[in-house]
Amino acid sequence: MAQIVVNATHKGGEGKTTNSIMLAEYVALILGLKTLIIDMDPQGNFSGRYIPMEYDPAYKGGRIPSLHPDFNPNEEGEWDGRSTIGNIFYGKEVIPYPTLIPNLEILPAHSSKLQEAEAVTKNEVLEKVHLQLKRFLELQEVQESYNVIIIDTPPSKGPLTIAAIKAATHMVIPSQMEQFSIEGIYGMLQLWKQESYAREKNKPINLIGILPNQIRDIKLHKQFLTGLRKMNGVGDYVMPHVIKKRAIYTEILVEEANPKSIFDLPKGNVARQEYESACSYIMERVLNG
Amino acid sequence: MAKMKVFNIGKGLSNGLEETISAAHNYSGDLRVDIIPIKRIDVDPDNPRDFLINMEDLQNGILPSDIHFTRKSQERENLETLAISIKEQGIINPIIVYKHGERYRLIAGERRTLASIIAGKTDIQAKILDTKPTELKISILQWIENIERSDLSLWERLKNLEKIVSVYTKNKNINPDELTSTMLCNLIGCSKPHALNYKSVLLADSLLQNLIQENKIKNLEKAAFLSNIKSPDTRQEAINACLAGANLKKLKMISTFASKKNQEKQNNPIQKRGRQSSSVTFGMTKNLNVARTIIDSILNNSSLKHISDHFKNTNWNDYKSISDAFKQLIKKLEEINI
Repeated sequence: MAQIVVNATHKGGEGKTTNSIMLAEYVALILGLKTLIIDMDPQGNFSGRYIPMEYDPAYKGGRIPSLHPDFNPNEEGEWDGRSTIGNIFYGKEVIPYPTLIPNLEILPAHSSKLQEAEAVTKNEVLEKVHLQLKRFLELQEVQESYNVIIIDTPPSKGPLTIAAIKAATHMVIPSQMEQFSIEGIYGMLQLWKQESYAREKNKPINLIGILPNQIRDIKLHKQFLTGLRKMNGVGDYVMPHVIKKRAIYTEILVEEANPKSIFDLPKGNVARQEYESACSYIMERVLNG
Repeated sequence: MAKMKVFNIGKGLSNGLEETISAAHNYSGDLRVDIIPIKRIDVDPDNPRDFLINMEDLQNGILPSDIHFTRKSQERENLETLAISIKEQGIINPIIVYKHGERYRLIAGERRTLASIIAGKTDIQAKILDTKPTELKISILQWIENIERSDLSLWERLKNLEKIVSVYTKNKNINPDELTSTMLCNLIGCSKPHALNYKSVLLADSLLQNLIQENKIKNLEKAAFLSNIKSPDTRQEAINACLAGANLKKLKMISTFASKKNQEKQNNPIQKRGRQSSSVTFGMTKNLNVARTIIDSILNNSSLKHISDHFKNTNWNDYKSISDAFKQLIKKLEEINI
């Protein structure tokens, strides 16, 4: 059965996308497992790291993936040559894109389609949006093609985030150790709680925990982290690893970056070691329970 | 020395985080909602039923030979209105069932199930429990379902909680008064301060209870605080303030103030702490005119006219300049006195 990890928190800038990237590359490059990544964020940043994205001529500021490499314009058919995770909300077929990283495939974002799904408020439709990703990932074809699926979510508590949580087997909440961020954790825990209530006992949503991110050597961060770790019950869900604030984590996101992945750095590199041990902690729990 | 900086995650947020985790642990999987075929639902033989009419009667029609024909026909008629609404909008709250082998048994929602059959439905939304729940479990499930609802009043929550407490204490064979806040917080999966608040409100006197029932007092923390005030006079004063819209901080002030007054009444002089003062502080003002008036009135004193020259250069629009002038003035006066 494919394990499905979602990175979620409704506050922006906490490191959802960065963490999705690191996890995806760790699983594909280091563990060598068949990996699918899904970009549920209409901003499409996650997608843009792995395949070329274009601006959507029909929707100002929106992004769509470039043409699929398997697309043959001379072939008869209804396919317009692009395939995104947004398609599942429109009952259309989805075809993952290959990436330059072996073992790693992606279902990219489609800004306007995802935004439309996110804006749904009508009850019957909402229920459909909530369950659509789960239904798609439960397809035998998908389950058999991948070992691990990693989902990046938009900074919201809306239908897309809920859909991702409903589809997931495991959940990670990246968070800075700051006031608004911790309020964000609270919001996400509510979604996790609701989902836990609603799950069958043998198919739980496992909260791997809160990943303290962008930690600086300042009193605020240290004391919030200690406070969180000491909290009754909550402490068990704060990961033992922390990610410090380092320039390298944003530098490798630049298009011409060399090396491209944190896992291309020498094994002894501090930043690589730091993220690798956090990823290994997460995947250990995802793969071995 | 600069003040040490200490950063704490606020109390409200901490409690919220702890409660959420504990509630998720205690009740995971208990509120699973799914759509199940009505065909596979049975009534629970151990549960008293409200209806004579049953699912077969609705599916096959009530036989005229049935000895309960009249009453069953009446019951069917009564279900029509609900059936129409279900036809249009479906059911709003799922029914509750538990698994019994391959089938399901009803815990709550017989009316909704019967009306759904009339509405021509074959499936129904249901909360599915894995085993038959105890009476306590059912009331706790209602509780967690209810606290997720924002439209529920404090009174409704309290009534729900009272039921849980009464079933629980009956099971444990203890007096409801002996229920501790620890038991309560384990029972309903909330934080200890929250449980303490509920406990205080459960013990509130009838006046306070009435106000909660009339929804004039809606906030749990305020209600608990009011209930905990011992002196009847002070409590009344605080209740009045609360009804007039005072916040919790204000209520706390009223209570502290009253208890201080009480202490004075009992001739308990308040003892000063710290070293005895050996100097006078003249206070502080942000109002420039006040400051100027003070200094001017002193200098206008005929015996002090001769020192007024020293203050000619004071800038009366500048805080620092006036402060310096005042210090200077005190110094001069001290010199004269010697």
